Amino acid sequence: MSTIQHYAAPRSLEEAADLLRQGNVTVLAGGTDLMPQSKAGKLKFQPVLMNIRNVEGLRGLTETGGVLRIGATTTITDLYDSDLVKSRLAALWQACDHFASDQIRNAGTIGGNICNASPAGDTLVPLLVLNARVVLAAKPNGALTQRVVPLREFFVGPGKVRREPSELVAAVEIDMPPPGFVSAFFKFGTRPALDISTISIGFGAVYEGGKLRDVRVAFGAVAPTPIRAPHVEAALEGKPLNEETIVAACDAAGQDARPISDVRASDWYRREMVRNMLERMLNNVRNG
Amino acid sequence: MAVKEAVKDTEAKTAADGGTLIGKRIPKMDAPMKASGKTRYIHDINLPGQLHAKILRSARVHARIKKIDTSKAKALPGVHAVITAADVPNQHPIGVAKDHLPLKTDRVRSLRDEIAAVAADSVEIAEEALKLIEVEYEDLPILSDPRDSLKANAPLIHPEPHGADGTHDHLKQGMPIAYTGKKDNIAMTFDYAQGDMAQGKAESDIIVEDCFSLHYVTHCCMGVSGVIAEFDSSGNLLLYSNTQVPFLHRREFADLLGIDPGRIRIIQPPIGGGFGSKLDIYPFEPIAIYLARITKRPVKLVFSREEEFVASPTRQPVLLRLRSGCKKDGTLTFREVDTIHDNGAYTSWGATTPFVMMQTISSLYRVPHCSYHTKAVYTNNPYAGSFRGYGNLQATFAVEAHMDRMAEAVGMDPLAFRLKNAQEPGEVTPQGMNFKSCGFKDCLTTAAEHGDYERKHRDNATKWNDPNPIKRGVGMASMLHVGGGAKIYQSDGCGTILKIDDFAHVTLITGASEIGQGSETVLSQLVCEELGLPLSAVTVVNNDTDITPWDVGVHASRTTFIAGNSAIGAARKAKSKILGMAAAKFDTTAEALDLRGGFVIDKASGKRLVDLSKMIRSLHFSDKAELVMTTFYYEPPSRHQDREFKGDVSAAYAWASQVIEVEVDTKTGIVKIVKVSAAHDVGRVLNRLGIEGQVEGGIVMGQGYALTEDLMVENGTIRNPNFRDYKLVTAPEIPEMDISFIESMDGEGPQGAKGVGEAPAICVAAAVANAIYNATGVRMTELPFTPERVYRALHGKAAPMTWSDAE
Ligand SMILES: Cc1cc2nc3c(=O)[nH]c(=O)nc-3n(C[C@H](O)[C@H](O)[C@H](O)COP(=O)(O)OP(=O)(O)OC[C@H]3O[C@@H](n4cnc5c(N)ncnc54)[C@H](O)[C@@H]3O)c2cc1C
Repeated sequence: MSTIQHYAAPRSLEEAADLLRQGNVTVLAGGTDLMPQSKAGKLKFQPVLMNIRNVEGLRGLTETGGVLRIGATTTITDLYDSDLVKSRLAALWQACDHFASDQIRNAGTIGGNICNASPAGDTLVPLLVLNARVVLAAKPNGALTQRVVPLREFFVGPGKVRREPSELVAAVEIDMPPPGFVSAFFKFGTRPALDISTISIGFGAVYEGGKLRDVRVAFGAVAPTPIRAPHVEAALEGKPLNEETIVAACDAAGQDARPISDVRASDWYRREMVRNMLERMLNNVRNG
Repeated sequence: MAVKEAVKDTEAKTAADGGTLIGKRIPKMDAPMKASGKTRYIHDINLPGQLHAKILRSARVHARIKKIDTSKAKALPGVHAVITAADVPNQHPIGVAKDHLPLKTDRVRSLRDEIAAVAADSVEIAEEALKLIEVEYEDLPILSDPRDSLKANAPLIHPEPHGADGTHDHLKQGMPIAYTGKKDNIAMTFDYAQGDMAQGKAESDIIVEDCFSLHYVTHCCMGVSGVIAEFDSSGNLLLYSNTQVPFLHRREFADLLGIDPGRIRIIQPPIGGGFGSKLDIYPFEPIAIYLARITKRPVKLVFSREEEFVASPTRQPVLLRLRSGCKKDGTLTFREVDTIHDNGAYTSWGATTPFVMMQTISSLYRVPHCSYHTKAVYTNNPYAGSFRGYGNLQATFAVEAHMDRMAEAVGMDPLAFRLKNAQEPGEVTPQGMNFKSCGFKDCLTTAAEHGDYERKHRDNATKWNDPNPIKRGVGMASMLHVGGGAKIYQSDGCGTILKIDDFAHVTLITGASEIGQGSETVLSQLVCEELGLPLSAVTVVNNDTDITPWDVGVHASRTTFIAGNSAIGAARKAKSKILGMAAAKFDTTAEALDLRGGFVIDKASGKRLVDLSKMIRSLHFSDKAELVMTTFYYEPPSRHQDREFKGDVSAAYAWASQVIEVEVDTKTGIVKIVKVSAAHDVGRVLNRLGIEGQVEGGIVMGQGYALTEDLMVENGTIRNPNFRDYKLVTAPEIPEMDISFIESMDGEGPQGAKGVGEAPAICVAAAVANAIYNATGVRMTELPFTPERVYRALHGKAAPMTWSDAE
């Protein structure tokens, strides 16, 4: 039996922030995490259910002065269909390509993916590679304020983020990567669609003259949150992308990944896959 | 629309040229309703005054029930009844070994065990009430491996004697296990032997031994289990049920309630898939009946998806050891098989899969000397029912992987080794099976040719040490399965009632159930073929025990064969009556006439003499005043197995070979099926579209068994009761299929056809195992071939099962 007493569908960010300040609100975006979780008894609805899909200005991509702002209710399909994402943020686009199924991509949002904070959340890994920032909106004392948190610092644990109950994730910001930046995403699941990542890897770097610079590597599903891989990054930064570097990077991956065993795979297998797939990705970058 | 057009198209041609419907591509008659979402499944049926039921299942894998308190649940507004075993004295045990009471008395033996049930105004209230029921348990040790259950001092799963109400009174010899208990953990044993094993071993130049471990999978029907029970004011029971065996169940429910079977009527709404899962009675059915009796209201009980995973049957998991010998020239000498079946906590059809397994073991190939032993052993795990293939996926996986190993040991090409030992038409096996039609060798050569087997098999094996981590492999496997019914019960028959009305419209009333396999279409087709009518002239009635004549049920790939022959029989009787009357009218003989295109015609000239409907009206509205109504009962000429499991249980046998090509990524362990080349001896193709669908669907089910599906049971608990983690094959994974039909024209089959329902799923796992070996040189003996399992095997990190574990 449902505990929802009131359903709200605000049209503006102001209105949404007002409702949030009053408290006891469950935020509903695409509902693709919320609904299955509530059905499974893992999540209890607050008395107020607030649908944010009608909030104006919350959906879509805008680029100004080299900064890309992705609204929180932008769907995975919106991202997948964006030429800008496809041409300049390859890793994010590839993550959308391997995300669930058409139906889920049409409903699921980037804000929901971030707030759900699954270690296996597919957009999170490329967003970490892109040094994304989370923009949080609130109305603490009558006026709308914004707070910006690096995505890297936003995740606390599975399903846990540094968001106050009165805050709404309004957007994600990304500094557009420098020229010569290449990026890629690899999702390891057992089937081509509708699968939760067993492990995932995001890679980004400026690759010029056979050398790597500004290297960023992130892993999904090998720790309580999606993580950056500092040891792998160090092994690659400023190095020529050759056999030796690749072996060193793959060895370093073992220091960054801290996987567990679950229904999808054992920790041993996850470590092996991180290693093998990182090797394969780096070889792909090397071979163009 | 497209479907309708296609139907018209076929009909038009048939009507115009007087041609045949046999072998044509005919869309299923129920397709437009299903495709447009108009089919009314049990979910869609709501009776006036109906209550909704939910079951409280055990929170413990194995425990004594100390106390159940239902008072809070009973007090919840909207709740009409809360029952436990105490409310249903003298429960009748159910299941194949009668070791199972619908509501548990003093102990729970698995997580699916039913402790209490609620009937309420809504599903939500019923669910809320379940949460208010308090149960006190005392945990008992969990047995989750059958090998542990066999150990000398293992705790007993069905220990002390107890009566139907949990007390110890009234215990008599010969009473069901549910009342008396069992002094060991062995639910059933099967022992079969043929020939002289010592002689077989002595004649062998080579002996190969293998162990295999087969896992739990479950049916995953789109239509979950469900029932609506209602008593009328005279105490007659009406059940809306998804059962595959309405007539057998009517009898069982009558026993359960202690009433005359004639007072039970079963109506089957369209069934959203069966695959064998609906062949036994499960506790939810009696529970719904108890609740209906107590509340005097219709009670509807439909499973949630999670419940379907937890509490519907599975395929039988098996540990199997297989030893065989052959001579230097490849002639098989003997075969010796031991299996341990994990019986779960209660006994359903899964325990009896040896009936089918031993047929494959003794008779797929010519094996003069053979022995087979199964122990079905109680554990606290889920229990298995029947599932498309009925043990044959397991047996064929073992036998066909083993055949490749033997071929290698004796230095023969696997195809040549199989051809050397394959059965031929006319053979009678030592187990008693008579292969009147047998296209086995044609299946082997056809599949091999379409899959380019010999060349690829040779080439792939040379590339094991290539640097490319992506490997290709081909593997083959073949199967034998019943194709003309299966005489398991006293009768394997089916009745038909056929009436032709004043407008020459046919109502075909058949005992045979439709579970999505397309029986309505194929039966109509066979009738139209006899009566020279278009398919649109037939309505099929097949889902009400008060109307339809007896049928043993939809299982064993039997419906086209058995119900088909029955329908043909009824149609021929009608035809002979009509032609007899027409002969009198046109002053000729019946033999000179025929029915074609809706007319009585002159056979020799093809001239239309009279419209069939007019002919029938003139008979009806005459002094003789007769209607055309016929009945026919078909019982196949098969023989039960005797006590030694020897007999000829089917009137025909089906054969198939499949060549499967895979790609193995050695860096991930991912195995992808690239192509399936299948050759099936189906007797004759009746509905080409239907049979292609049946074979394609079966191959995909086999693919799931081989690669992705795994009901993970750990310590009696299912870890993945949902479609996120229980991985059915999805559309992009479905491989290219090249399907050939071998038409051996069975003499007993309807228009020469044999059963095909189960066959296509049976070969896949073995063929994939052989293909993985061909690609990598690594032999997989444990299913399913998930990426991690394959990766472990490729990197020497797997510990294959050895039989010493099981002794
Ligand atoms: C069948 C299926 C397959 C899936 N496959 C994948 C997959 O391949 N990869 C993957 O990463 N995920 C997958 N998911 C999970 C899910 O689709 C994604 O996480 C999706 O991005 C969630 O977005 P949503 O808008 O639906 O979130 P919702 O379900 O609406 O919300 C998720 C959570 O975030 C909160 N929330 C949402 N938006 C905001 C906001 N703006 N501010 C504050 N809080 C907010 C909600 O309160 C809720 O707690 C799958 C889900 C299903 C059902």
